[in-house]
Amino acid sequence: MSADTPGRRSLAPYALAAPFVLIFAVFIIIPLARAGILALQQTYGPQAAEFVFLNNFTELARDPLFWRAIGNTLIFTLASVFIQLPLALGLAMLLNRPGLRGRGIYRLIFFSPQLMGLVFVATLASIIFEKRSGLLNQVLHWGFGVSLDFPWLQTFVMPTLILTTLWMYVGFNMVYFLAALQNVDKSLLEAASIDGAGPWARFRHVTIPAIRPVASFVVLLSIIGSLQLFELPYVMLNATAGPANRGLTIVMYLYQSGFEVGDLGYASAIGWVLALMLVGFAIVQARLARSET
Amino acid sequence: MRAILEAMARSVSLGVGVILTLALASVMALALWPIPDRPGLEMWIFSPEHQLLYEPALEQRAADNRAHVNMRVIGIPSLKSRMMSAFFAGIPTADLIEIERQMAGQAFTGPIEAVGFADLTELIAQEGLLEQINEPSFGPWTSRGRIFGLPHDVHPVLLGYRADIVEAAGIDVTQIETWDDFKRVLAPLMSDDNDDGDPDRYLLGMWFTDADRLETVMLQGGGRLFDEQGRVTMNTELNARLLAEMITWFVGPDRIAADVPDFSAAGNQLKIEGYAIAYLMPDWMCNIWRLQMPQLEGKVKVMPMPAWEPGGRRTSVWGGTMLGIAKTTERFDESWELAKDLYFSDAIARELYTRNDIVTPIKLYWDDPMFDEPDAYFSGQAKGRMYVDQAPLIPARTSSPYYKLAIDRLRDAAVAIAEWSRSTGTFDRNAIEARCKQELERAESLVRLQMQRNVFLEATP
Amino acid sequence: MGQKRSNLAVAVAAHTALLPLALLTLVPFFWLVTASLKRPEDFFSSMFLPLDPETGAVAWSRLTLENYSRLFLELGIGRALLNSIFLSSATALLATLSCAAGGYALARLKFAGRRAITITVLAALIIPPPLLLAPTYQLLYELGLLDSFTGLILPAIAPAFGVFLFRQATLQSVPNDLIEAARIDGCSEIGIFFSVVLPLVRPMVGAFMLITFLATWNNFVWPQVVLQTADKFPLSVAVSQLKGVYRQDYGLLMAGTCISIFPPAALFLLLQREFISGLTAGAVKG
Repeated sequence: MSADTPGRRSLAPYALAAPFVLIFAVFIIIPLARAGILALQQTYGPQAAEFVFLNNFTELARDPLFWRAIGNTLIFTLASVFIQLPLALGLAMLLNRPGLRGRGIYRLIFFSPQLMGLVFVATLASIIFEKRSGLLNQVLHWGFGVSLDFPWLQTFVMPTLILTTLWMYVGFNMVYFLAALQNVDKSLLEAASIDGAGPWARFRHVTIPAIRPVASFVVLLSIIGSLQLFELPYVMLNATAGPANRGLTIVMYLYQSGFEVGDLGYASAIGWVLALMLVGFAIVQARLARSET
Repeated sequence: MRAILEAMARSVSLGVGVILTLALASVMALALWPIPDRPGLEMWIFSPEHQLLYEPALEQRAADNRAHVNMRVIGIPSLKSRMMSAFFAGIPTADLIEIERQMAGQAFTGPIEAVGFADLTELIAQEGLLEQINEPSFGPWTSRGRIFGLPHDVHPVLLGYRADIVEAAGIDVTQIETWDDFKRVLAPLMSDDNDDGDPDRYLLGMWFTDADRLETVMLQGGGRLFDEQGRVTMNTELNARLLAEMITWFVGPDRIAADVPDFSAAGNQLKIEGYAIAYLMPDWMCNIWRLQMPQLEGKVKVMPMPAWEPGGRRTSVWGGTMLGIAKTTERFDESWELAKDLYFSDAIARELYTRNDIVTPIKLYWDDPMFDEPDAYFSGQAKGRMYVDQAPLIPARTSSPYYKLAIDRLRDAAVAIAEWSRSTGTFDRNAIEARCKQELERAESLVRLQMQRNVFLEATP
Repeated sequence: MGQKRSNLAVAVAAHTALLPLALLTLVPFFWLVTASLKRPEDFFSSMFLPLDPETGAVAWSRLTLENYSRLFLELGIGRALLNSIFLSSATALLATLSCAAGGYALARLKFAGRRAITITVLAALIIPPPLLLAPTYQLLYELGLLDSFTGLILPAIAPAFGVFLFRQATLQSVPNDLIEAARIDGCSEIGIFFSVVLPLVRPMVGAFMLITFLATWNNFVWPQVVLQTADKFPLSVAVSQLKGVYRQDYGLLMAGTCISIFPPAALFLLLQREFISGLTAGAVKG
């Protein structure tokens, strides 16, 4: 009974793939194409649209707010990669001790902030970082004599965001690193220590190469996520970009341009620039990863 | 078939099973408890205080068997987002929406046909409301000559202060006529009793990140962001001078202002502690204080704002609310009736003041003796009369659709100047004023850039 | 013998570093829960649990559930909770089904256009979702799907990365032989999908369901753009409303947040293993 009627055989794959392909075509491909058209227009909501062609892009080039957004976002991305990831790796290494009791519980604890969701974390953060009565300033004041008026949410918006995302995501990245560390070939490590390599040398020559693929994946994920930061600062700063636009990120500016001002065209133009940046980072990252192996 | 079900059971772990169950259960729950079709008029407001205000009127309507009203209180960012996305798409939203000054600008930036509110100009003229209402109150709700909302208020501004602290120090506030007097007369209150190097209290509860307040004080001095023709006029000598003086309040060893946020428990705590002595107090702010800080009863008083120069204006205007009817409403006449009920009845005007401390924009009612009642919270002052006296004197406000943009750029400018001043240690008035001119020019060019870009609004010079 | 002692030392050192960090991570949660059980007047008087002003000891009697009862009885948060549960579970379910089926089809079945679709999907992985915000809004408007649950759910059930994950999982865990064997046994193609493939990609099913559930649960800005009717809003919006309107009532806000955390936390506890293995499978082996 191997060859069934061609009719039945040939329909089933379509039936299985159809739901996905249909929705994908309608809600991803079509909007993508329209984003191309929108970027060449100026709109006031979805009803009023006029073609302005490349005007949106020339405007972006000289829009100080846009550059501010790019600057803020890049700083945040750098901090995510160079502060958060090493910390995640460190945590993972701590947890990787063989036979460490409570590893599962620790993993759960560190991962838990992920569950809270951006809105709630933002709300919590806006209370914790408040001047005078916020938890953090209280602790810093009574513990280290820092001024109660330390203006986290006004002057030090970016550090506040970095700290908050650190709390939220370090567990997430740690999980990846932990899985990678646990997959490191123990026999290689043993061989290295028999050869007289100390812990640092073992780390450099066995561990790091072994976790490199996961590490590059995590770095890429982190970059992609950081470049698209939006809801967290938006909610923390009460639907604004903060004083002097310190909390303005690329996607926040996209949202404001499209949905507060109504210019869906300008928003799409920003979206394309973002897409280009992502592609650029991905290519660079792929090159770096390939060149090392 | 059985094999399939068995296999599916194998592919479903406990968690997945839970989600499946939740999906089915919630579908059933939604079917049994469907989204209620709420008949009647839908009205969105952003202020819980207004909800209390309108309640008696709504109860009266219910008693008279008139159309039911679903009144919802929605936070400002959410209200803005929902209203704008509905207006943009032209989809039905609430029938009536009460909005505030800053939200209004966004509703008016597009082509006049796309403004989501119904054009009420003719109706207002026909029903003779133009004469009855304080004219400057229509300002922010008018775009290109058409009126889109009924004004809720006048919102004159006075200076509220901690009378208990001031009088205990033996200071007489009637000596204060100008801002210079203010700084001089109240200076002794900025003592540093606990010797930590910082004054224990400041004179003014205001910060350079509050662009609304900055504009309020600038308006008092005659400074404006747009002129009558809608041209942007941020970069003027007067604006620079006013802004520079204000910046000196926030920076340097002689600063007199402190950051005391509104609408937060933390800020209220500071107010109770007397961290700052005086605050800009528009009529609606009296109500906020009254409701949120009952502990300060009998300790607060109001006085006319210190003028910029002797004989100058002693009030300003801050905030403003309007009630608009969405163009997509299917019940316009009923909505208009409701709007008039809520905004123009004698009973409401009375409630507006007695409950919410707000002075009605309807000039007819200004003679009412309720304004002369002594107010226990304000140490027995007849504060209502003080506000009404200032009501006709409030400065005019622009109706430019770029108002929000300009305010945002003003805020950016103020923050830039204040931080430059602190980081370079420049507290000299003239240097600050020069910097103000620079930043205001920058702000103005940014606004002008946006104005020129917009293909939907007629090009404004 | 020295090995054992140094192992112990290392373990102690690890715990010394881990314990404070773990506590640091948990402190905000603890603060959240205690704040939700405090009355407004107690909010500033003590950092965590309310204290008796005279003795300084914990005043257990001052703990209250009034914030929660207010949320459910007065402020109608029950409906927002139901909406969130519905949206998140329905989206998770539908997305998983569509991506699992699609991923399997792309991985193991032959049909016209397979190659083109696979390439498109892989390319689509790089599309940043924000790019699609504006045109999706436009599209929903044109389809008349604004202010509806359908408008929120449909665009979310065919994410490129979902089909990519399932394609990978199928390639790794579902060998062709098994499929052939099932065909020979007379099983229909659809039957093969449900009885052979799904059980083999079970970890990915669990992981992807949870990811999608969480993402939808925490979705905040987009529902406010799409929805208008107040009764349709999900929990994330309802809780942020508390922040906007009752800004001084922190207890209420914290209680709302606690309610919002509970379902995702519970699901995560149940789906922990699958989640982590699903997350890391692609990265570590691939």
